[in-house]
Amino acid sequence: MTSPRTPVIRLDMTMSLDGFVVGPQDCVDAPMGIGGFRLFNWLDRRFDPGPDGQVFAEVNATRAVIAGRRTYEHAGRWQGDHHDGVPIFVLTHHVDEDDVPPGTVRYVTDVRECAARARAAAGSADVVAMGAGAAQALIRAGELDEMELHVVPVLLGRGRRLFDHLPADNIELELTRRLTARDVDPAHQVLHLRYRVQRTEARATDGDR
Amino acid sequence: MSPVIIASLQDSSSRPVAELSNDWKDEGMSRVFSTMAMSLDGFIAGPQDDAQNPAGIGGMRLMDWLGSGGDGDEGDGVEAFRPTDPSSRMVFEEAQSTGAVITGRRTGDFAGYWGGDHHGGVPIFVPTHQPPDHNPYERVHYVTDGIEACVEQAKAAAGERDVMLHGAYTIQEALKAGVLDRIEIQLRPVLLGQGRPLFDGLPPEHIELELVRVLKAPGVLHLRYEVQHA
Repeated sequence: MTSPRTPVIRLDMTMSLDGFVVGPQDCVDAPMGIGGFRLFNWLDRRFDPGPDGQVFAEVNATRAVIAGRRTYEHAGRWQGDHHDGVPIFVLTHHVDEDDVPPGTVRYVTDVRECAARARAAAGSADVVAMGAGAAQALIRAGELDEMELHVVPVLLGRGRRLFDHLPADNIELELTRRLTARDVDPAHQVLHLRYRVQRTEARATDGDR
Repeated sequence: MSPVIIASLQDSSSRPVAELSNDWKDEGMSRVFSTMAMSLDGFIAGPQDDAQNPAGIGGMRLMDWLGSGGDGDEGDGVEAFRPTDPSSRMVFEEAQSTGAVITGRRTGDFAGYWGGDHHGGVPIFVPTHQPPDHNPYERVHYVTDGIEACVEQAKAAAGERDVMLHGAYTIQEALKAGVLDRIEIQLRPVLLGQGRPLFDGLPPEHIELELVRVLKAPGVLHLRYEVQHA
């Protein structure tokens, strides 16, 4: 019960019931795409006592961040600090030599290396992963441990899907927690679902330290 | 402040617990709801679904919230699929208490129209552009003048009972036409990776929903959303 725990890499994403994390035509000037900010209504309640505040606080209790390149750029690079100065590992296909990453940001091109470094940096806390691209890369590599999904009761119709470009292999999950605040108006409703990813192969050699 | 529900799902204590207070049932008014099992990544069938393999590759994984289909004792039809878990059984029975079924042509064809009787002998309406030349089932009605007309006929046939709607494409058409009142999803804890999405080809205008019920059963989360008609 009290043995030291391996840091968990937990995806944290808000998505519409139809699976989109941003609306269409997302870019640096419109990071959530057309209409995509609808998904963040629930964050108006991020400091409320109760589930919405709890899940927000949990993200800020992580001690390392993994982000996809698009998410990182669209978020204005968080000006080099996502929260509390914890290390940010940006998963990217290409590192430009002239691009000096701000603050605690490091660029990593290999997903396994990215996961290992983030776990090592997190110490006894957890790692938060964000962005659809990073999520897919981590899932494909078998490096994602948990998912915390904030499912918003809206059909966006168009946009960028969280789950895409995955192989046709069933990946089994276990629902370990669900949180919903009561008496919230539909525009601010959200269902927080936490899943554990069931691994079929051991992640034996990837270096947890 | 609002009372908060924090449910631990570690034990699968299976008493139905209705959450989220809304009373969805307007007495005496037939309502149309869709019901589909969906993977967390949004698929209702695996890839390469066809008549030989209606659930597609790996897609049968989505169906096992239902009963086994019987232990070889033929003859009880849909009853053999009644789940044992109380919450799942309640959801199953709600579908079985509807007064009419609307099914997509594809779903209907794949299922062989349930031998002509989905449950309780209620009529089955099938929106289609091309009805088959030969229809062996007296309870199966092909409707060629659109989803609105199909829903209207099904509601009329259902009387005061609700109408159940099945099939991804048909659900999309009903959503686009604004004739779907509720979306029921049996959310399964699995990523299929590829397959046939439940929500696809919808317009970019948002369709607002309200989550009105969450029921947890082993291996399935039953979600009920009310469509907010503008």
